[in-house]
Amino acid sequence: MSDLNQARAADVLLRAMGGRSVMLRMPAPATPADPTEQLGLATPAFQDLPLAPVVYRKARATVTEGKAAKWELLVSATAVESLVGSLAYASASVLFAQAYGVLSDDELFEVISATAEEAFGQPYVYRLILRAPQAQTT
Amino acid sequence: MQNAKDTFYTTLQQRLAALNPSRTLVLRGVVRPATLVDENELPTASIPTDAFRLQWTNLQVTNASPLPWIAMECAIHYATDGSAGNGGMDRGRALAAMDAELAAALAAEPHAVPKIDYTAAPPAVMATNIFWSDPVFAATTATNERLARTATVQVFAYQEAGER
Repeated sequence: MSDLNQARAADVLLRAMGGRSVMLRMPAPATPADPTEQLGLATPAFQDLPLAPVVYRKARATVTEGKAAKWELLVSATAVESLVGSLAYASASVLFAQAYGVLSDDELFEVISATAEEAFGQPYVYRLILRAPQAQTT
Repeated sequence: MQNAKDTFYTTLQQRLAALNPSRTLVLRGVVRPATLVDENELPTASIPTDAFRLQWTNLQVTNASPLPWIAMECAIHYATDGSAGNGGMDRGRALAAMDAELAAALAAEPHAVPKIDYTAAPPAVMATNIFWSDPVFAATTATNERLARTATVQVFAYQEAGER
């Protein structure tokens, strides 16, 4: 099975498990030599980019008392590679590092970490750990 | 008091950049001096290393004088892993370099600068100055390969009429 087939098989599995769509919220690049953004006077524009298919690995969040809930999201590698290519990012890790968060059901989750699951040296799915908004902390 | 915070940040950033122009970071695709104010940036779980991060903590307002007197505490956090090429064995030297840069920037004369209103275009110089104390350096904390330190500085200013 080729590396491309691994990614396709992962996509089929994600869809079969109820694959859905979320939005990756990306801030616009900062304005060079403009102190207003550094002082919090101006805020960057945001762009919401669709990510699909994705699946929450568990139906329930990981909850620790006093801390924000954490979710684990499995994201199609083909969707990620398509975004990386179209936005001219160096790699998926740069894409997720620059992202402000993941918008899911009108709720914005912070991306805490992003790791790739690989077969034959090629990612077939990305695993994102998301943090729920602080307002939802129990 | 926001003007005092803004003025202190821009002054410190300029002084640190003049001392070591090569200390930069990339934030949202732009290379800039490696000094930032946490509350003015997007929330993130990752902590930038080899950069100075300012956090405004304590605040005291005294109304005894005609102009309210403000004392604010600025915690300046910085950390380093050393350089990967040296296997992190230079992390102590890297932290010492950051200690020296911060101490020199805060000790440089003048120790008081005019307060600037950055909401005006172009930024407007105000009637009073801001000034600051000598920094107090906390003990180094070591977490795995990372060395970190926090220095605290008291920043003082008068709250001018109409200022928020």
